[in-house]
Amino acid sequence: MSTVDIELRKVRKVYFKDRLEIPVLEGLDLTIAAGEFVVLMGPSGSGKSTLLHLIGGLDSATGGSVRVGDAHLEKMSERERTAWRSRHVGFIFQMYHLVPVLTAAQNVELPLLLFSMSSSQRKERVRTALEVVGLSDRADHRPNQLSGGQEQRVAIARAIVTDPDVILADEPTGDLDAKTSEEILELLNLLNSEFGKTILMVTHDPRAASHGQRTVHLDKGVLDREELNPARPRGAAAMVS
Amino acid sequence: MALPLTYHWRNLFVRKTTTVLTVLVITSVVSVFAYMLGFSESLQHSLSVARDPHKLIVLKSGATAESNSAIPVDEYNKLSQVTNVARDEATGQVLVSPEMMVQVSLPRLRDGGRTNANVAVRGVTLDAFRIHPNIRPLGRIFSTAEREVIVGLAAAQQFAGLQIGDTINLGYGADRAYKVVGHFSADGGPMESEIWGYLPSLMNSYNRTMYSSANLRLADGSDARQIIGQIEGPAIQLAAQTEEEYWESQSRLMKVYLFVAYLLVAIMSLAAVFAIANTMFSVVAGRSRELAMLRTIGFSSAQILLGLVIEAVMLALVGGMLGCVACWAWLQAVGNTKDMFGATTFTTMAFKIQMTPLLIAKALGLVVVVGVIGALVPALRAARMQVVTALREP
Ligand SMILES: Nc1ncnc2c1ncn2[C@@H]1O[C@H](COP(=O)(O)OP(=O)(O)O)[C@@H](O)[C@H]1O
Ligand SMILES: [Mg+2]
Repeated sequence: MSTVDIELRKVRKVYFKDRLEIPVLEGLDLTIAAGEFVVLMGPSGSGKSTLLHLIGGLDSATGGSVRVGDAHLEKMSERERTAWRSRHVGFIFQMYHLVPVLTAAQNVELPLLLFSMSSSQRKERVRTALEVVGLSDRADHRPNQLSGGQEQRVAIARAIVTDPDVILADEPTGDLDAKTSEEILELLNLLNSEFGKTILMVTHDPRAASHGQRTVHLDKGVLDREELNPARPRGAAAMVS
Repeated sequence: MALPLTYHWRNLFVRKTTTVLTVLVITSVVSVFAYMLGFSESLQHSLSVARDPHKLIVLKSGATAESNSAIPVDEYNKLSQVTNVARDEATGQVLVSPEMMVQVSLPRLRDGGRTNANVAVRGVTLDAFRIHPNIRPLGRIFSTAEREVIVGLAAAQQFAGLQIGDTINLGYGADRAYKVVGHFSADGGPMESEIWGYLPSLMNSYNRTMYSSANLRLADGSDARQIIGQIEGPAIQLAAQTEEEYWESQSRLMKVYLFVAYLLVAIMSLAAVFAIANTMFSVVAGRSRELAMLRTIGFSSAQILLGLVIEAVMLALVGGMLGCVACWAWLQAVGNTKDMFGATTFTTMAFKIQMTPLLIAKALGLVVVVGVIGALVPALRAARMQVVTALREP
């Protein structure tokens, strides 16, 4: 079981455009417990993706501290963050970002190429990941031979194949219909409850939000309110261990 | 571990039009390059053979080649006074080979005899084989009593009617039919493109009274400059040069051609670099989100850079291999022999252009360099891109 928590303290993020400061996050605090499934909501342009990128070490904060497990991201170089990210974080995007020229299995295998692992070990991991997302029979399909929902499943398999502690999902159902969205959200739930992944998911959809244990709202650079989901008590997953 | 090669390979086929166009540019560069390289290597080889440092070629002063040189017999006879040159051990006389050079127009084999080219015919005495030790008759040589010739291997391979037993017409008189009685090799040097016969007989057939050249060998340890000084001095009014100097000047025109050809290859290579760069810029632009995704899952900017360079080199190598095949097919179609005209002689020197493994390696080497240089700027741009910015692109 994962034991990785996330802690953001006084996080500031300012973009510069034509020498003009564009403040996006202004002293944001957020704590996510190990094994928690948190939903992040907020108006478009409020900085949700920015926040995800900071936690995933894709970008660095202008101020404050970002800690994921025992990794203090604000103290790490870009090179260190890249290496850390490949082992500890799985990203899921709204547009899946699959490589069109590779098969589902080859897409899933990509992150493993950065590990020292034999080809057969990789194949085994890929097989398992595709099994978890229920796409074992689509391993040799190219992305254009898959439906949107199936593509997102492949993307999820790619995110979990390295067995990361944290999954960061940026509007993973934003491009899917209601039924398919539900299946994807069930899958994320499974990753959280069965595999203990700490999940932070951005969404606009209140129904999607109902899958998390807690919803935080981002507005004007800070988290202005949060609500717990009574249907999914906080820490339920963590209590299993 | 880097990105898998299948990833790059398959991406080449995503942008079919750009890929095909780029490949075509590179194919044309490489085929021209391989051809020029093959030509220049054969030329270099041929000239390296004609580089006997102990051999002097004597011409009429002011003559630029054997074909426009005429040495009167009494002037020629004065060469017997020259010192420090090789002598006949038995007689103690200066060893000298008087030679006459004429041309005969013969049908080329490579186009089925549709066109003719000039072949050098050299009249020599038997002493010539001592002056030119690299001439090796294969079989017997011409008889001094009959109208017979022997033919250099390169000439025999390139021109019709030069097989043993064939008869060719040389000269102007009535009795001008010469029989080919043998072939000879000259280590691939220029003389291998010649026809040799007995000097008095050929002079008679061509109504000549003067020689074209005289050839001498240096005595051991003697200085070529000193002997040339004797020949060009007041006592003898002739001009002399070493064999190396002679063939360097004969091939000067060809070297200018080669220089221009290489310049062309260089300009074409530059065009190929730009073609690759242009392709890779569109790759980087078109795949920026995909590349950002790869950075997101942990590939480093160095790995992205390397991957794009590999992709460009793959593209270039496809063009390079096609170029080698095109060059090879061209040589098959038109024959792999090439004529070289001496700067002033207008006789042909035969070459074989061969697609040796070394030549292919050099051509592919050029292509790899073109690919790497072409990929560098776009790949650096991709490596320096902001991951989060690229991820946000619509
Ligand atoms: N590279 C950038 N330069 C300037 N402004 C940016 C840049 N990236 C994002 N922004 C701005 O930051 C704000 C937050 O963006 P984002 O995190 O994508 O919002 P959200 O995901 O909540 O829609 C937006 O106003 C956006 O225009
Ligand atoms: Mg966003």
